[in-house]
Amino acid sequence: MEWTGLSLGQVLATLGAFGAAVFVLYLLKLRRRPVEVPFVRLWHDVLAEQRTTRLFSSLKRILSLLLALSVVAMLAIALGDPRWIAGRDEGRTLVVLVDSSASMGATDVEGGRIEAAREAVRRRIAAMGADDRMIVASMGASTVPLGPIDGDPEVLEEALDRLEARDVAADLARGLGWALDVARGALGAEIVIVSDGRLDPPGELVEARARESGIPVRWDRVGETETRNVAITAFAVRRYPIDKSRAQVLIELWNPGANAEEIELTLLGDSHAGEGVPLDVTTIRLGAGERATRLFENVTGADRTLEARIRLADGTRDDLAADDRAFARLPERRRARVLVVAEDDIYLEAALLLDEYLAVTHVTPAQFPPSDDEFDVVIYESFVPAQPLDAPSIWLHPQPAEGVQGPLVVEGTIERPFFDRLERDHPLLAFTSLRDVNIAEALAVRVEPGDVVVGADARGPLLVTGTRNGRGFVALTFDPRRSDLPLRVAWPLLLLHAIDSFVEEASGHFSSYRTGEPWYVPVSPNATRAALVDDGAEHPVPIVDGRAVASSERAGFYLLLTDGPDAEHLAVNLGPSGEADLAVATTMPIAGEPSEAPAIIEAPVRGEPWAWLVLIAFGVLAIEWVTFHRRWTV
Amino acid sequence: MFGWLRKQASSAPARAIDDDAFDEEFQRRLEALAIASRRLVSGRMRAERRSQKTGAGIEFADHREYAPGDDFRHLDWKLYGRSEKLLLKLFQEEEDLSVYLLLDTSASMEFGAPQKLAYGKRIAAALAYVALSSLDRVSVLTFADVIGARLPPTRGKSRIFKVFEFLRGARPEGRTGIEGAMRAFAAQHKRRGVAIVISDLYDPAGFERGIDALRYARFEPFVIQLVDPSEARPPLHGDVRLVDRETGESREVTVTPRVLERYAAAHAAYLAGIASYCAQKQVPHVVIETSTAWDDAVLSVLRRGGLLG
Repeated sequence: MEWTGLSLGQVLATLGAFGAAVFVLYLLKLRRRPVEVPFVRLWHDVLAEQRTTRLFSSLKRILSLLLALSVVAMLAIALGDPRWIAGRDEGRTLVVLVDSSASMGATDVEGGRIEAAREAVRRRIAAMGADDRMIVASMGASTVPLGPIDGDPEVLEEALDRLEARDVAADLARGLGWALDVARGALGAEIVIVSDGRLDPPGELVEARARESGIPVRWDRVGETETRNVAITAFAVRRYPIDKSRAQVLIELWNPGANAEEIELTLLGDSHAGEGVPLDVTTIRLGAGERATRLFENVTGADRTLEARIRLADGTRDDLAADDRAFARLPERRRARVLVVAEDDIYLEAALLLDEYLAVTHVTPAQFPPSDDEFDVVIYESFVPAQPLDAPSIWLHPQPAEGVQGPLVVEGTIERPFFDRLERDHPLLAFTSLRDVNIAEALAVRVEPGDVVVGADARGPLLVTGTRNGRGFVALTFDPRRSDLPLRVAWPLLLLHAIDSFVEEASGHFSSYRTGEPWYVPVSPNATRAALVDDGAEHPVPIVDGRAVASSERAGFYLLLTDGPDAEHLAVNLGPSGEADLAVATTMPIAGEPSEAPAIIEAPVRGEPWAWLVLIAFGVLAIEWVTFHRRWTV
Repeated sequence: MFGWLRKQASSAPARAIDDDAFDEEFQRRLEALAIASRRLVSGRMRAERRSQKTGAGIEFADHREYAPGDDFRHLDWKLYGRSEKLLLKLFQEEEDLSVYLLLDTSASMEFGAPQKLAYGKRIAAALAYVALSSLDRVSVLTFADVIGARLPPTRGKSRIFKVFEFLRGARPEGRTGIEGAMRAFAAQHKRRGVAIVISDLYDPAGFERGIDALRYARFEPFVIQLVDPSEARPPLHGDVRLVDRETGESREVTVTPRVLERYAAAHAAYLAGIASYCAQKQVPHVVIETSTAWDDAVLSVLRRGGLLG
């Protein structure tokens, strides 16, 4: 035992001084309250009988003295603030991992789970001995120490102040691995996980390391098992390929609670800075444990961003606010740059005129390659250049000249082919009918592994799609001008589907990214540096293979700056949907053992005996008071 | 009805009509009490008839044979022992009856809320008024261990203010010594009559000898014992030092519920002893708790004791 308050000598001196004072007080004759009575003679018989109990009274008086002395002793010892050293001469090294996942932001307990976790760590700090050390780390998607290993409570409290819940899932494997690295070789090492237990198992490797190390892993559980929460678990948006002023929005909602909830869902447009414009408000009832998907068609009024918000229809708040909002970015409505390499083809030009978002450039095969080579799609009609542009391509009747390598190897021709086989579910064929198209002649081609034959005659492919040199392509093996295809509605649809598929792919558009995951954001090929703007501060991020690689643990809207003229808006949502289920786990997923495993989980923290001593002292005083006033001890 | 009382009051401005003990309300209730007592003893009033017939007076007159309904108290037992005849002693009926009100003013009468002395004053005043209303001769005396102040015998309703004035001057002091006081009273008063002792009877030497002295002197003693409710169950607890109000004698005691129970038993036994003595000696005895309304208590005295019947 060590004395962290008064020294042992001071405790004994206090005990002696106050004990002696109490003893002297008991030696003094009790001054009784004088009460006048009209006739004291009546009390004589009573007093005579009472004398027989004088011995018993003396015993009670001695007992009372002993009780008073015991109270003084307990208080004196409490002033010494004694701590058990638990049989060790060296201090302990406590590695405290505080779960900072999104679920720790729940407000089911007073102050929120993160505050409860902070309080749990404070208790451990208060219970530290003089030689104990502690390090506190925030365990989110990554594990970040909040301060140094230190035995100074002030330093540890300061580190604890930096703790906050993030919009991510906690990676127990990473956190526990880090803790084992820190605790390795330390004397009296212990690992303490402060969490609600909503953690994925750390994996066999880390489990084995934990077992082999022999370091006890303890769990301070925070949170309640009865919670109320409704979450947005998915939020995606896309523009319609033909009408880019409208968008289609997909939302998935989840009620992991035990009771049905009625919620109000609001869609807001362009809410990057400040409040957005409400676009749609609807009320949805979700049964217990139900996941529901809602598709919003033809959403208009938003140009850049969309935000979804939910709240409980009864006006109350659920226990987790982090999953009540979701963010999405709409694809940019820029014109797709299309290069057409063909002799005059009125059918092709007419088809491309149908889409106002196409910026079409015409060159003849003789003018190829053009001076500007930045195009989203290149259409080659009956022309196969020796060196195609580095862009997705649409090939019409791709018969290469001698010595030139085309997208497909031509082995001959097919007379009057028909679309005998069609992949009806392929996006290229949406809303098209090609089965009765009359074709004069087609090339007999050999496809490569990985190519997809979307339409074919029994003698060979007619419509093929695939990838060449990392770029996608679509090829018609016949000349449309030698068929009646240009006279059909299917012709412009087929072309526009092909262009849309390339344009969407080229933009690399994601309506939203997720917290805790790396984001690979396509940037201009000429960009050399990029920075992520988070709460007004710019954080440089690397560019790898034409994509800026960024990440964050906070959901919301971000701005990605490059050395190009345009800034990219990013929408980031809460990553793991499992965080929405707030019910506190009953077991800690370590080594596959239930929480009852004594070596791993649930060892009590060191107590503070002074508090118990004071409580017992007050208890003794209370009992003495009650027994005295009930006349049991007088 | 109280016109004459008001007249008396106006003619004697020095009298403190607003005194707490004998204020106007008290006097109004006193008059009602007198009417009630008159109804109670209707037809049996002696002093108002003023005849010379023999009856239940003080001076012996003759014997007559016992008839059913006669008062047993007046049987002559000595004669029965000699002649085996039940003969009734007849006394000379007096024109008026002497009523002596003996009020204990010892220090113990200061006890209680209301004070037993203050309560006793009201009882004495009420009885005096009833007696004065019946044209009896009323004399009031205070006593502790000796006879203190005394109001000479007086008669007539209008004299009630004299009684008030006298009673106002009574202060609690001294030790109780009933025997000495009663002996002195008997020696000083030759005219026999009813001697109403109003006291808490807390006499370390016992009250019995004092009552016996009255009896031997041929007074008709009547004992009104005043008891405060808290005397039976004192509101005490814990370590206390009990101090006797009269003697200053003190006793240390730790009062517990059990001790209180034992005390209550002792107090009840004390009261029972007094009642037993009075019953044995045929002395009318009434115990009045000071929490009882004083006029109810007076009626109770009249009914139970047949004091003026």
